[in-house]
Amino acid sequence: MTSAADWRTRSAKQTRLAFGQALLELAERESRTVVVSADTQDLLGIRPYIERYRDRFVELGIAEQNAIGAASGLATTGLRPYVCAYAPFITARSMEQVRNDVAYANQRVVIGAAASGISLGVAGGTHHALEDLALMRSLPNMTVIVPADVDEAYKATLATLDIDGPVYIRLGGRTEEPPVSDPQAPFRLGRAVELRPGKDVAVIACGALVEMAVRASDVLRQEGVSVRVINMHTIKPFDRDAVLKAAAETRGIVTAEEHHLTGGLGGAVAELLAVERPTRMRMVGMPDTFAVVGPTVALRAKYGMSAEAIADACRAVLGSA
Amino acid sequence: MPEAKEALLKRLKAEARQVRRNVWRALRAGGGGHAGGSLSAADILAALYFYRLRVRPGEPDWPDRDRFVLSKGHANAALGAVLAQAGFIEDAVLDRFYGFESPFGMHPDIKVAGVEMCTGALGHGLAVAMGMALGARIQKKRFHTFVMVGDGELHEGSNWEAAMAASHYRLANLTAIVDHNKISQSGRVAEIIGVDPLADKWRAFGWEVREIDGHDMTEVVGALDALPFHQDRPSALIAHTVKGKGVSFAENTYLWHSNNVNDEILARALAELEAP
Repeated sequence: MTSAADWRTRSAKQTRLAFGQALLELAERESRTVVVSADTQDLLGIRPYIERYRDRFVELGIAEQNAIGAASGLATTGLRPYVCAYAPFITARSMEQVRNDVAYANQRVVIGAAASGISLGVAGGTHHALEDLALMRSLPNMTVIVPADVDEAYKATLATLDIDGPVYIRLGGRTEEPPVSDPQAPFRLGRAVELRPGKDVAVIACGALVEMAVRASDVLRQEGVSVRVINMHTIKPFDRDAVLKAAAETRGIVTAEEHHLTGGLGGAVAELLAVERPTRMRMVGMPDTFAVVGPTVALRAKYGMSAEAIADACRAVLGSA
Repeated sequence: MPEAKEALLKRLKAEARQVRRNVWRALRAGGGGHAGGSLSAADILAALYFYRLRVRPGEPDWPDRDRFVLSKGHANAALGAVLAQAGFIEDAVLDRFYGFESPFGMHPDIKVAGVEMCTGALGHGLAVAMGMALGARIQKKRFHTFVMVGDGELHEGSNWEAAMAASHYRLANLTAIVDHNKISQSGRVAEIIGVDPLADKWRAFGWEVREIDGHDMTEVVGALDALPFHQDRPSALIAHTVKGKGVSFAENTYLWHSNNVNDEILARALAELEAP
């Protein structure tokens, strides 16, 4: 059995592949595991799983609605289905199946959603998923996880074994996610991780933006600004305490995510603070537009999802920009 | 000694008549609802629950039970009726349809004993049932999964995704029953978006098809006895039915897809559903 600490010897460099690798360990731990593919065997790196667990694998082809419905049916029989899918299609196209068959029926279905955000930049707007967090976090019963790097993706996938209900894990595309989480730290569902202490401003980030937030924090520290960085890897259930504590202990909050500015992490933070503790805020994320075609890194820069943009937002919150 | 055929048919017809009476009773309690599609399905539901399904009303979550998914969930009154008659739920529940915190709204809820999935948003049940059949195969269980779909429901493309996958996996442990009553919410299915040639469609998708009169209990029982229709394919049972069957004013009209039910209508309906 591979432990969470040494699994990287198998060389996954993207969160989507870390999910696929974790399925091998998961299947060793839980014999009811069954993996469902929507013609996504390489996208999530599940060929080693298929080779080893052929009898606990179901390929359903390019039919996301059917994949979700079938996963729900599998779950009712006591199996633990893991659906491997494209984030844009499994959320937008099969949203009603996710809502009714999985969330409303409260079935233990885990959706591994690769190619989220603009991680498939060159594929164009049809293949971007910039509204999936808004869709998923508005569903009762649903757990929503956004790993920041491969270690966290691996551990979060294993952690789903203990979640009694549906789960959406948001994964990236081809661009490698630089390591930012502590490889030795356990994954605690719904418990945000403070990666940098700070008292002037707090950046609450998820996914690929976490590493950018750390870089922004390091830059601002040299300017004498103390920036707390919080990795909000679980969007639902939401770590209210971490947000309220950050609001109480700093002068303002910046949120950062690869998602539309409506309805995602920034929305969740703003909803909480508006009611509980009105706080100066800036939000970093995708503006209200469809992205042009381009490499992911260039697109992130164009639409203001970068360490520089996060640093600027911190300065703006502090009134110094 | 097995039940004599004649006695069986008599018993099932009586249960079906009681399903129809209970449908009207439940809809009266709720103030109205989907009479037409509940009545067209009544004979098949009676045959399933009182003859074919291996289920345990006292142990609704028995892992090896046969599954029945009512994909055309708007026929929930008929499902409630058979579940009450079979003893899954209290009979008195039928008098609380649509009530505050009632187990029964217009559409099935998995939280109710005997209900296998939340359905009624159309085009969902076949995929879920296919997943159940796959789950049986993976776990080497012998239970059979049935799903009832409406003919208008077959407009939903997701059905055909599931149909394609079910035959790919040769799921002989899966049976789809089409309640082919030829009428949907707005009128005749053939005029809304035609589904013919229906049997050919299922065959083209790799299913073994049989067509019956869905109100002839001899044919219904004969078809259920013949399952699976093929050892290597899923079975499609196309049941030709009459929307609103059993009550003259509700038969064959889209007006009774869903309609209000008051005391007078209830009395008229029950009068037509007296024991022979």
